[in-house]
Amino acid sequence: MPETKTAPAPQQHKAKKKSEFMRVMRQLSKNKLAMIGIAVLIIEILLAALAPWIAPYEYDKMDIPNAFATPSAEHLFGTDDMGRDIFSRVLYGGRYSISTGILAVLISTVLGICVGSVAGYFGGQVDNIIMRLLDIIQAIPGMLLMIVIASVLGPGFINTVIALSVGSIPASARMLRAQMLKERENEYIEASQSINCSKFRIIFSHLLPNCMSPMIVSSTMGVAQTITTAAGLSFIGLGVQPPTPEWGAMLSAARQFMRQAPHLIIFPGLAIALTVLVLNFVGDGLRDALDPKLKN
Amino acid sequence: MGRYIIKRLLWMIPIALGVAILVFTLMTFTPGDPAQTLLGATATEEDLNAKREELGLNDPYFVRLFDYLGDVFIRFDLGNSWITSVSIIDTIKIRMPRTVILTVVTLIIAFGLGIPLGVLAATHQNKWQDSVSMVLAMIGVAIPNFWLALLLVVAFSVKLRWLPAMGIEMGLISYILPALSNCTGALANCARQTRSSMLDVIRADYITTARSKGVPERSVIYKHALKNALIPIITAAGTAFGRLLGGAMIIETIFDIPGMGTYIIGSLNNRDYPVVQGGTIFLAIVFSILMLLVDLLYAAVDPRIKAQYASSKKRKKVKANA
Repeated sequence: MPETKTAPAPQQHKAKKKSEFMRVMRQLSKNKLAMIGIAVLIIEILLAALAPWIAPYEYDKMDIPNAFATPSAEHLFGTDDMGRDIFSRVLYGGRYSISTGILAVLISTVLGICVGSVAGYFGGQVDNIIMRLLDIIQAIPGMLLMIVIASVLGPGFINTVIALSVGSIPASARMLRAQMLKERENEYIEASQSINCSKFRIIFSHLLPNCMSPMIVSSTMGVAQTITTAAGLSFIGLGVQPPTPEWGAMLSAARQFMRQAPHLIIFPGLAIALTVLVLNFVGDGLRDALDPKLKN
Repeated sequence: MGRYIIKRLLWMIPIALGVAILVFTLMTFTPGDPAQTLLGATATEEDLNAKREELGLNDPYFVRLFDYLGDVFIRFDLGNSWITSVSIIDTIKIRMPRTVILTVVTLIIAFGLGIPLGVLAATHQNKWQDSVSMVLAMIGVAIPNFWLALLLVVAFSVKLRWLPAMGIEMGLISYILPALSNCTGALANCARQTRSSMLDVIRADYITTARSKGVPERSVIYKHALKNALIPIITAAGTAFGRLLGGAMIIETIFDIPGMGTYIIGSLNNRDYPVVQGGTIFLAIVFSILMLLVDLLYAAVDPRIKAQYASSKKRKKVKANA
């Protein structure tokens, strides 16, 4: 992104010709909140990815005599009921929480795109049947559906990801379908049909790229939402289980000690809130950058 | 309009059927033996078999599915809990009102604070009031409500001892903390929605007219502008109500409120499948009716949308005559 900011005039001209991506990036780089969001997000992902090397302690290293230590230079965020270093656990927890969010949204977006584009492009009976099926799934309140699926599948990382993604397929399919219905009326689609383009090609190389903007924004926001939901699932004992340093699971384990050691519940929660906040900054920025009404 | 309502109501039947089949199937293929869970680890093989026979677990899947659908949709009986043997509908009648109270209190707090915040932001667009309100809204969306719940309990129940940390023995007062922790998302959405719809309205000609004929600013904002800006906010309230009704399960668990959420989550843990199925079907039907009401509300508050329904009918009539 810094390159686009300092790009000299001839290059800018090239970029304009080159891609929509560069235009969006340039637009995005003007948005302060979005840039802060991206920076914090990159730092968070780096911290989580490099946790084994930068965490001051192992996430499961117990030190019973030192349990419930308040934050100090030795233990930045203090220690929990088993004397484990909370800072290290929050760092490791990022690996589970962030990857759960990204993976679940990735799966639901890809499946949503498949379902939504079939419904949106073919229309008619196919569309009708798919939409009625989605109606059924959406009639169940989202959180309830995810809780039921998570408890049917049992605890664990992969199962949580599946539960979270199944619950959000209908929303992304619906959004893509609406976009497709609008987009397929355009003349360039008629043109590609008239030169006998295959349906697959029309959907994937002509229609989809033009339908992606709202999907990108909603996926970014979706990751934020999913991280909260995933933490909520592990908080009530579904999803990722306690010895694993997932943020929600840490909160759940800390709950019984919150009277004597409130610092146990502060840091994992802050980590979730911060991640969700910056993801929303980025999502908002992307929406503004992708909005054709603001194109100059 | 009437035909539209009837059509939507009729659509609910296949949807409720679909939900019933979906949840029943999910429960059937859940690993684990309910008879074992019900009788405990010490039960003999004979006892287990007898229990399975009693619960109908030995029948093939389709037989049980059709039995269940018959019970629910023909006899309107959700069955009894496997564990307490209490009728599920009776339990729902006791528990649902508590969830509704929680949702209503949440909604009152969210919109009671969200609308003024949004109006403040819109009337001071691009000033510090605007930025502060919108940053607050962003934080409101970002804070996980179960975390806020823990923080509020530590602050108001453990440290200050003002409000109860769990249960509903103290009546409405016990709903304050759960509602506060549950309201942030809806509050933030309401503030944003109010801001953007106020901004749309505030530039309209009739606002300029009101100002130029000397109406006091306060009355311009609250009587002329807000009244017209309320349409999308009212529908947002309807949607939020539906979402909160199904989304308060974790908050109910934390504060130990014996509502629908704790009922279903507890039964999931105990493998009490009829309760999970019945509760989910019930909530799905309530949810669908609510969404229909939101659509109707939308038409009721906005004459332009009402006109749309009418015009589509007229269009059909014209077509039929042609």
